[in-house]
Amino acid sequence: MRRTKASTKMMAAGTAVSPMTAEAAEEIASEEFAQIVASHRPKIYRFLLASLRDVDLAETLTQECFLKAHRNWKEFRGESSAMTWLMRIAINLQKDYWRSRRIQFWRQTRTNTVDLAEASEWLPSGERNAEQQMLAREQVAQVWRAVKKLSERQRTVFLLRYVEERELNEIAEATGLSEGTVKAHLSRALGRVRTELKGTP
Amino acid sequence: MNWEHDLAGEDQELKQALRHFKTSMDTWSDAAMSRPRMVAKTSVRHSWRRVASWAMGCLLAAGSLAVGVHAIYHGQQMAKLSAQKTAQQAAVEQVASGQETALPASAQAAETASVPETKAVKGNASAQDKDLLASVDRALSRTVPEAMEPLAQLMDDNEAQ
Repeated sequence: MRRTKASTKMMAAGTAVSPMTAEAAEEIASEEFAQIVASHRPKIYRFLLASLRDVDLAETLTQECFLKAHRNWKEFRGESSAMTWLMRIAINLQKDYWRSRRIQFWRQTRTNTVDLAEASEWLPSGERNAEQQMLAREQVAQVWRAVKKLSERQRTVFLLRYVEERELNEIAEATGLSEGTVKAHLSRALGRVRTELKGTP
Repeated sequence: MNWEHDLAGEDQELKQALRHFKTSMDTWSDAAMSRPRMVAKTSVRHSWRRVASWAMGCLLAAGSLAVGVHAIYHGQQMAKLSAQKTAQQAAVEQVASGQETALPASAQAAETASVPETKAVKGNASAQDKDLLASVDRALSRTVPEAMEPLAQLMDDNEAQ
């Protein structure tokens, strides 16, 4: 979309604008990509961290995600937003990771996955009192317990909606599901969280 | 938050829990991204180890290959030697059997009749060969020039006595 638009604009302008050289186009593309990395990297990392609960693995997959994106940047036509496109790559990467973990169940792969209690420790140090902090920590732990029980697809949809705050159509595009299916997954995931909060199995 | 309208009819507890979960993830993610990274300086050592292990592996492979080739070569040499020995033995036996055909029929019959006595028979055969050669010599020595006839007659007489 980027360069196509730029070249269309140039053609429309006729001879007023000198034609863009390949080097200049390359430079613009790399600058654009650097901006994309700077703005979207924290979001991709956060999504992968929430999906995997592994700090190092999330970082590795984030790098891999941007590497893949860079390799295919020329083919990106801008039909979806860059964030949706990157999220789709990240979803596929974490899907591949879980698949390989399942296949290699006999291999003692070293993981740095943190347990739910540790993951629940992270709360912003606001002006809340100790009781409120404890309550918040307990609620986060309950949501984590519910997330752990979700299927891979439900978890992805849930995290994209309630952590990344993506719109339903964006989630549908990133996951390759229909909006109806996304809604159904969200409903089931919320039901699981609700059950966990009420303390019933 | 843009998802809160989804939960319009929901209780406050669920909304609050989801909000806390989101802020918790934000805090954790920010802290993890800004943490100091450890850079391992073991690349040189690892490369040395890798080179050493490759060298050892190559040595072992070459050694086992050389042993295998030597074993095959040795086996071939031994087979050649044994074949030569067998051929020599066969030639000797052929020569011996050729001489045995000149022996009397009775001796041959005795030889074929008793296989364990073959060695003894062979010893006798060589003695008989000597006797045969001596008798041939004698027969030849009888044909002497006329001038030597009286002397030959005397020798025959002496032998007869």
